[in-house]
Amino acid sequence: MAENSGTDPAVETNTEENAAASATIIKVTVKTPKDKEEIAIAEDSSVSQFKEEISKRFKAKQDQLVLIFAGKILKDGDTLGQHGIKDGLTVHLVIKTAQKSSSGSSQTSASSGPGPSQGNTAGTANPSPAGNLGTPQGSGPSPTPTQPPNILAGFGDLSGLSNLGMGSANFMELQQQMQRQLMSNPEMLSQIMENPLVQSMMSNPDLMRQMIVANPQMQQLMERNPEISHMLNNPELMRQTMELARNPAMMQEMMRNQDRALSNLESIPGGYNALRRMYTDIQEPMFSAAREQFGNNPFSALGGNTDNSGVQPSRTENREPLPNPWGPPDASAATTTTASGTATTTSSTTSSTTPSVSNPLGISSSSLGNGMFNSPGMQSLMQQISENPQLMQNMLSAPYMRTMMQSLSQNPDINPPPSGPAPAPAPTPTPAAGTNTAQQQLMQQMLQMFAGGNALTQTPEVRFQQQLEQLSAMGFINREANLQALIATGGDINAAIERLLGSQPS
Amino acid sequence: MTTFLKLNFNTVIIPHTVTRHYQLIATGKFDTGVKVPRNFRLLEELEEGQKGVGDGTVSWGLEDDEDMTLTRWTGMIIGPARTNYENRIYSLKVECGPKYPEVPPTVRFVTKISMNGINNSNGMVDARSIPILAKWQNSYSIKVVLQELRRLMMSKENMKLPQPPEGQTYSN
Repeated sequence: MAENSGTDPAVETNTEENAAASATIIKVTVKTPKDKEEIAIAEDSSVSQFKEEISKRFKAKQDQLVLIFAGKILKDGDTLGQHGIKDGLTVHLVIKTAQKSSSGSSQTSASSGPGPSQGNTAGTANPSPAGNLGTPQGSGPSPTPTQPPNILAGFGDLSGLSNLGMGSANFMELQQQMQRQLMSNPEMLSQIMENPLVQSMMSNPDLMRQMIVANPQMQQLMERNPEISHMLNNPELMRQTMELARNPAMMQEMMRNQDRALSNLESIPGGYNALRRMYTDIQEPMFSAAREQFGNNPFSALGGNTDNSGVQPSRTENREPLPNPWGPPDASAATTTTASGTATTTSSTTSSTTPSVSNPLGISSSSLGNGMFNSPGMQSLMQQISENPQLMQNMLSAPYMRTMMQSLSQNPDINPPPSGPAPAPAPTPTPAAGTNTAQQQLMQQMLQMFAGGNALTQTPEVRFQQQLEQLSAMGFINREANLQALIATGGDINAAIERLLGSQPS
Repeated sequence: MTTFLKLNFNTVIIPHTVTRHYQLIATGKFDTGVKVPRNFRLLEELEEGQKGVGDGTVSWGLEDDEDMTLTRWTGMIIGPARTNYENRIYSLKVECGPKYPEVPPTVRFVTKISMNGINNSNGMVDARSIPILAKWQNSYSIKVVLQELRRLMMSKENMKLPQPPEGQTYSN
């Protein structure tokens, strides 16, 4: 007559809710920071039995659970009675996940590699200066596809780079994909921001400025609107901008302030027209310029926006996939207005790339450290590097590294395709060369920063050679002063001239 | 007759004030402007601790359930997300002296932590550095102290401080 009725106390070994002999069932609330569940359990159960129930209810493993009651951690061997847990009381639960978060929700770490990995096509790695670090680790410009893996293999953990698709012909496409990914996952963003390399880069205003200046769109814009270059050269502003990009909460605050200021402006008679004018003059080209870096604004055509002159590089065909209408909202320039001149520029808050006075050049924190950081191989490399700066130095000082970098910097293909229709006005006689110099300077700066020292030996004089010549041609004879001014403005001739003129007694 | 009335009058008043105390305590508001006896307060806090009032990120209770003086308490803080304290559980000892709640309790971290205002070698919380301890009011409670410490963990100056390995405690 051995029925397995399950309620026979003698054979009972399992721990069903109504099991434990004749104990009373109590209802205990189990609370996590995110969740709350009521669990019925026998009064004299042990903590481990309790945890079993909880693991079923919360779908977590028993050993991930940490129970806290009245300030004490409940150990598996204890009983509920020992701790005085009675009906109606609350026990706190912490679900320990492997790494992050304290309540069972794990973030998606930036895992997926960037966009279409077009195999291992070496040749011209097209690092656009904005938002792409790590060119030193990129595949070199060597023609044969087989070489980069060899070089990279020597770097230890760089094999993952082959998946980066660094050889992607259209780097813009790549960046755009990464941008989208990033924007759809804000956690990734904060991860990236926490990366020390990104932070050190952002704390170097010269570097930031160079990156922005090197964009040919930006250069055009600067020539058309000198105010913009002024903004660029104002170190205070730059620093503020970077602070903001680094701190999204602050950015939101700023946005709000600006929105308020803006609405005030609108109420002034004639103000609205002024705003609109400002927008078309300044904001829009700036938008396009900023966005061009990160892929074309899919809505620009939608709005019948004819101001497309600078947007698409005319020589390359638009290979981007059509925008996904159901996808995460991309930046829409539709609802933005601006205020007077350099004072207050506001923007819609959708994309972090939209420029505003606090962030005049649309520095997107997401655009930095983009792409490269997404691949797991790269990430582990970065980790290694940040743990061991010496490694970085060694890497960079290796002889073949040096030659690779030099050839990289000289490779004309590295520069993004110059925008066709808009001719560069006179001040920069050779736009291509100007871009080159800017790019080279940029790379050098980045490399210097990486190496934490003087990895390269070019003096400012050499870097600014061309600008110095221009200045002396204009009549600024004092070479020393010219050099100083150029260094201070990072090679911007117009700003340097202003500096020189300002320093002379009027 | 007057004496008879007086008697009634007194007995009416006494239960009235007592009920008033109970009402105020029961609503969880300690700010009565009236001095609440220490044990009433602590018993109420004990009950709150067991009921899990709040958002579940702090917990507190008597260290020893037999402690009739209700002096020694243990607290627990769950490290806030997106800080270096994330996913960690910090254990504390809170001591409510005889003058509590007129004077703040002494608080001590048992789990090792690196945070401004916490002594690095023994985990004592410096009452002058923690705002609510420095400007203590008798309406504050153990819960408030724990929540404030947790809030400070999220401050800019603390959230990025490198932390000792998990599970270490002060040897006291």
